[in-house]
Amino acid sequence: MSFLAPFLLWAIPLAILPVIIHLINQHRHRTVKWGAMMFLLDAKRMTKGMARLRQILILAMRVLALLALIFAISRPLASGWVALTAGGAPDTVLVLLDRSASMEQQNLLTGESKRSTSLKKISDLIEKVGKRTRVVLIESVENRPIEIAEADNLNDLPATWPTDATADVAGMMQTALDYITVNGSGRTDVWLASDLRTQDWGPASGRWDSLRAAFASLEGVRFYLLNYPDVAPDNIAVTVENVKRRKIGDQAQLQMDIYLRRHMPVGAEPKPIDVPIEYVINGVRTAGTVKIEGLDLAMQGHTIPIGATTERGWGKISVPADSNPRDNSFYFVFDEAPSQKTVIVSDEAQVIEPIRAAVSSQIDPGRNYVAEVINPSRIAEIPWTETALLLWHTAIPEPGTPDGVQLKQFVESGKTVIFLPTDASPSASGFMGGNWGEWVPESTDAIPVGWWRTESDLLANTQNGDALPVGKLNMFRVRKFVGEEGQPLLKTEPGEPIMTRVPTDTRGAIYFCGTLPSPSYSSLAREGVVFFVMLHRALDQGAKALAKAQQRSAEGGLFAGDETGWKAFEISETSNPDETSLTKGLLAGAFENQPRKQLVAVNRSLDEDSIRKIDSSEIENLFSGLNYREIKDEVGDSSSLASEIWRAFLITMALALIIEAALCFPAKTEKKVVPKKKEAKA
Amino acid sequence: MSEPNSKRDFIDPKVVGRLMGLPMHARHPMLGAVSGRHRSPIRGSSLEFAEYRKYVPGDDIRRLDWRAWGRSDRYYIKEFEADTNLRLCLIVDTSGSMNFGADGSETNTKLDYARKLAGTLAYLAAHQGDAVSLSCAGTEFKSEIPAKRGALHLGVVLDKIAEMQAVGETGLATALHDAAEQISQRALVVIISDMFTDPESLREGFQHLRFRKHDVTLFHLLDQNEIDFDFDRPTRFMDLEGGSPILADPTLIANQYRKAVQNYLGQVDTLVRDTGIDYHRTKLSDAYDNTLARFLLGRTPKTKK
Repeated sequence: MSFLAPFLLWAIPLAILPVIIHLINQHRHRTVKWGAMMFLLDAKRMTKGMARLRQILILAMRVLALLALIFAISRPLASGWVALTAGGAPDTVLVLLDRSASMEQQNLLTGESKRSTSLKKISDLIEKVGKRTRVVLIESVENRPIEIAEADNLNDLPATWPTDATADVAGMMQTALDYITVNGSGRTDVWLASDLRTQDWGPASGRWDSLRAAFASLEGVRFYLLNYPDVAPDNIAVTVENVKRRKIGDQAQLQMDIYLRRHMPVGAEPKPIDVPIEYVINGVRTAGTVKIEGLDLAMQGHTIPIGATTERGWGKISVPADSNPRDNSFYFVFDEAPSQKTVIVSDEAQVIEPIRAAVSSQIDPGRNYVAEVINPSRIAEIPWTETALLLWHTAIPEPGTPDGVQLKQFVESGKTVIFLPTDASPSASGFMGGNWGEWVPESTDAIPVGWWRTESDLLANTQNGDALPVGKLNMFRVRKFVGEEGQPLLKTEPGEPIMTRVPTDTRGAIYFCGTLPSPSYSSLAREGVVFFVMLHRALDQGAKALAKAQQRSAEGGLFAGDETGWKAFEISETSNPDETSLTKGLLAGAFENQPRKQLVAVNRSLDEDSIRKIDSSEIENLFSGLNYREIKDEVGDSSSLASEIWRAFLITMALALIIEAALCFPAKTEKKVVPKKKEAKA
Repeated sequence: MSEPNSKRDFIDPKVVGRLMGLPMHARHPMLGAVSGRHRSPIRGSSLEFAEYRKYVPGDDIRRLDWRAWGRSDRYYIKEFEADTNLRLCLIVDTSGSMNFGADGSETNTKLDYARKLAGTLAYLAAHQGDAVSLSCAGTEFKSEIPAKRGALHLGVVLDKIAEMQAVGETGLATALHDAAEQISQRALVVIISDMFTDPESLREGFQHLRFRKHDVTLFHLLDQNEIDFDFDRPTRFMDLEGGSPILADPTLIANQYRKAVQNYLGQVDTLVRDTGIDYHRTKLSDAYDNTLARFLLGRTPKTKK
């Protein structure tokens, strides 16, 4: 609790005046010689318990009345949360704002979103309690501290406007920590406005441990978690995947997978509803209605006819407005399918042939599958810009060499490389954090598969949920992977990783496959299903970077270094259109780069549709040892975080005085005893 | 009778002079040693006609009513009331609580009031030829003066009344029993006390006196402040009978105190009703001559028409 006139709090000791007066009165007693002690003893015995309690209550009420008066004239600020700003205004307030798409869930009555509600409340609070407080905004997109001169309305700042991006709460915390450490911000209140979505918080991340330890070592940092965990029960989110243009005879059509997802309260029985759905292709709108029986509706392979001459363009699938406008539309773009080109750098036929057979298979008739073999001595001839997948069966190039530089650029451009083992000695420094180790000693027995990653990546289960027959594979020669950050996708029975993904900061992917498809190395070629699927998934992944039409998730710096030439077909609706949103890639929409004839559809991350939240116990784990307070708020709630509550204290004082008067009032006026006089007989 | 000296200033000649015209009567016939002004249960030779009864041999023929013989030809003896003197037995409570003065003063105490009542009654009784005794009922100050007639004895009684001191606890219950045992014939027993003891503890004493056919009168001395308990700030009450002092906030206990007083007075009323004693609740603010006048008037026999 803070006060607008805190100096008046020095008068608090005056509250014990009634007690002092009572004690003085007790010591000012007079002495009387008394004969009727028997009545006094009786009276004392009768009044022992209740009278003492009554006297204590009277004194307590008098003290309370004085305290309430002092507090009232000190003009306290508070809210429903006790001691919200205990200790007065801080030196610095850091506002950590989650600008993710899920924070745009609205209260349909007030039109306020979680984001705008939280900003209004924090602005109001800072206005009231901390006019001399330095205010720093750290929002989830830019994730850098922005000093705010006037905190009277944070909602007006472009840096607080809505986005379709995701948030990284741990990243914002790290930025806050850096700011506090560098600037020595003194007593600091950190306000974190969030909807507690698991994907934004990433509670399993190892960063939280170091953040917790670092904040624990700082003095005077308090955290206020302004939480909006409620999920709108009537919200419908739409997503689109796998948009392809197909030509059948003289007709052309777009084929896509459309998913509608309903949010329901836990335990609620979903009732079938009809949902109007709008399709927009190159600005032309058509409408229809679909019925959702359960929580989800998957329209896989949904086709929309388009003009036979329409080879490229953009589109949008929309559902009617509901409590979250950010997930009501999904943009897509389409163009000619890119060439699915694979380059195999090897000189061993037993390696080349199975790979060539797999990647040349035309599984999608609309695409052109090409495989090219390059001898390791002619690496310079690799067509880097046309290649989607590179299988590298030769020594790993050193980072500084021309081959190493080109290979790195290949990965950074979003394409895929799979390293295959050779007998060459390991590279001195490896490639982007991965390297070959020693060969596992040869054995006559086959090495069985022990574990593989089924939820994602190259060996993930099929869309039906069926697992690939990875367990049938046998390995005979395996080379070890060396690298601290490698994520295993496939392990042998003893736990030796065979397939490892090296994480990168780019959209490209690097894999180390510890064996070869040759019969003397493994049964990859013989049990061809796994090998086939694995290679085509890698090829698809790399081909996305070659595509003229790309789907991307909104994020800060999406078009960084590539800002020129872009034009928007359409940007998602927003009440605060930001001129720079295009280049920042923060808003969903369909964009075209005419000089390069490139199309990009930007949408919210699919993670934003997840309603998984972290609970209080997880927050307690994340903030254990720190001074923090959770404040659960509701979207659109107009009550203030802090307001003057002197009226409450005056009412308290009045109540205390009334109670005191009632206690002092004689319970019943006793009639005085009048001794009877004996009448004289006449 | 000698002039009252300073030790006997509790006797006011003006009051005595005014009350002298009101003879002190007993409510019941008394048995005395000599002739006096009071009715006796046995027949005597006073001028007050009592009854006729038939003559039996042996009766004094001088008491035959010859006129009745002339009218009825039967012999009747004419009997008259006997007049005798009475014994006034004064029992004064000399417990410490009798030192309580009116409105808290130390001059006009209950003992002073008791002295005035006892002294004036003794003087009036002696003046009409009655015997007077005095008993001081206290645990620390005790004194017994047997009943005798005469001015000399009155001087002794008055001196003792002047010497009385109020100290210690009350010994009234014991004093009542002692008086009942020691007074041999019917007497007028006057008790002057504040009765600050359990009324039930006195019941047997009063019944004992009544059993002995004594005419018992009680002057119950109270101060208005003891009844009203009008204090407005914390007070330390010192026990006049030597008990532990009590520090109390009157605002907290006044109601309970008054309840206790009311309850006590109710018990006293029940006691006097059951035992048939002549009860006079007396406040220290009342003039003692008025109190005595009411007492004496209340005992005046009704005139026969």
